[in-house]
Amino acid sequence: MATDNVGNIIETKSLYKIYTRGNASVNAVDNVDLTIKKGEFSALCGPSGSGKTTLLNLISALDSPTDGEIWFEGQLLSGLSRTQLSRLRRDRIGFVFQSFNLVPVLSAYENVELVLSLQGVPPKTRHDIVMPLLSSLGLEGLEHAKPAALSGGQQQRVAVARAIAHNPAIVMADEPTANLDSKSAGNLLDYMEKLNAEKNITFLFSTHDQKVMDRARRVITLVDGRISGEIFKNAESQP
Amino acid sequence: MAWRNLWRRKRRTWITIATIVFGVWLSMTFTGIGDYSYTNMIDTGANLGFGHVTIQPAGYHDEPKISKLISELPEIKNNILEYSEKNHSAIDSTADRVLANGVLATASKQIFGFFVGVDPAQESKQRNIYYKSMIEGDWLESTNERKVVIGKGIAELLNLKIGKKLIYTTTDIDGEIVSEVARVKGIFRTGVKEIDNASIILPIDTLKETLKFKESQITLMALFLNDQRKSSAVAQDIETLLNSKVEVKSWDQTQAELASLITLDRGGNILTQMLIGLLVAAGILNTLLMSVMERLKEFGVMMAIGMLPSNLFLLVMIESFFLAMLGLFFGIMVCIPWYIYMANVGLDFSAMVGDEMSAGGVLIDPLMKIRLYLSSIVIIALSVPGLTLLAGLYPAYKAVKTEPVESIRGL
Repeated sequence: MATDNVGNIIETKSLYKIYTRGNASVNAVDNVDLTIKKGEFSALCGPSGSGKTTLLNLISALDSPTDGEIWFEGQLLSGLSRTQLSRLRRDRIGFVFQSFNLVPVLSAYENVELVLSLQGVPPKTRHDIVMPLLSSLGLEGLEHAKPAALSGGQQQRVAVARAIAHNPAIVMADEPTANLDSKSAGNLLDYMEKLNAEKNITFLFSTHDQKVMDRARRVITLVDGRISGEIFKNAESQP
Repeated sequence: MAWRNLWRRKRRTWITIATIVFGVWLSMTFTGIGDYSYTNMIDTGANLGFGHVTIQPAGYHDEPKISKLISELPEIKNNILEYSEKNHSAIDSTADRVLANGVLATASKQIFGFFVGVDPAQESKQRNIYYKSMIEGDWLESTNERKVVIGKGIAELLNLKIGKKLIYTTTDIDGEIVSEVARVKGIFRTGVKEIDNASIILPIDTLKETLKFKESQITLMALFLNDQRKSSAVAQDIETLLNSKVEVKSWDQTQAELASLITLDRGGNILTQMLIGLLVAAGILNTLLMSVMERLKEFGVMMAIGMLPSNLFLLVMIESFFLAMLGLFFGIMVCIPWYIYMANVGLDFSAMVGDEMSAGGVLIDPLMKIRLYLSSIVIIALSVPGLTLLAGLYPAYKAVKTEPVESIRGL
């Protein structure tokens, strides 16, 4: 069953994630209703333990909720098998992690083409996609470099290239600037904003970096697993 | 990616390869010793007189009697010739035999004797253990000379030397007691006491005459095969072909004690190899598992970005496959010179066990050599990668069971 809301990439309804340890239970995500529309450049923020990463994992199809529904492009995630969820992540979601998480034995080029090769895209097409992308992210000449030979900023740009190479519906970025210096973080956000503006790629950040919050056009604040507030910086991004 | 993953920790990969190489070497050596020694024992047993396949009178196997004999020799020979032409690689040679029991005597002593009548033209050192074991005098030359070749034990017991006379007494096919005199032409020593103390080799026509056999009659025909493993099949074919009063037995039926001994030893060998295989597999499993466990976070990331569980399983299995192929390649490289040395020179244990170690009535060669049949090579070549892939299954399963959200937590 699909939702009626055309243009919504993600829609959660009464979403809960409860962790139980012994007799104690913690509501990491507590009754969250959230909608993310195509083209948004949004940030989930809040103090440590507020549930940002848990919510991001849930709507990224990496984790399953205790209760509630998650709709991804009109598809209910709870109805999908493990393999179907893998395919959905492979084809429709891009990931950027705090620690870059590139495959160490692969070059920058190979890391970026990884998802494309998992999709079965032919080598020639992969080359035509990856090279301009690396170039647009300022990584020209570093195609053959292994992650260990790249700086933190360069690694994170490779990670961004990997996240967007397959033209996903949304890029989920969990604390993408946490391990970067101020200049690299600024550059990375510039690239992401550019991609959002030029290619209409949707970005959703989990962050407590003020720089990210400043750039985001929608900031969703979580406290104790609940949405405690939302700021829309322009009318276009309002749901 | 699988190939590169293999070389992330070079030392560990080389240790795993060394484990596989050790497994290949052990498997090759154990199998090679088995293939060589069993074939050697079976061939030696066959060369004692009955061949790999024996054509004998019906009921002779259960109750050997002088009156039980093969009378249709020309017809059987024609059939064997025809079979041999059709299956030219199966039968190496045939030999007619006349067998009898009796008494051997000199002027002062007498002992029990087992008489073997042979046609010297049909015998070769390769196919006749007595001929091969000659230590004094000469082997027989014609089918009707009045000369015999005796075991060393007989020579000692009866105080006989080359050229001396010997009286042999037996019962002919009519039940009459008959005696003949012959001179000792040669002495053999097989090392098996039971044979050396009782066996006497006579020219076949001389013995036939003594026993009143017709020209077309013999006790049995021994068939020597190029490959002893085909004994049962050839015996079955020939039995069907002859379809008469004779019975056709393979070596494991005529020498049941030897067959049991080999079966028992082979069972032990297989068990030992299985245990070694298990130990090698445990080593490989341990390495692969370590390699997977330290990459769980990475697998989590790969699954998060969309690698299907089946792809991940395949990745780990391909790593196992590469390991297996490398292990097999280097294993073969190590084994080739070892095989050449062991097949041609071997290890001599005669200083430890002596020259006269026997089992199942067959002398065991103290020179340990190895020989591998093609089928054994194929089994080793398949079982080593098979075992490695099997050892890779659990680590691959562990990799697939990685929960991306657990693995990437805190990244």
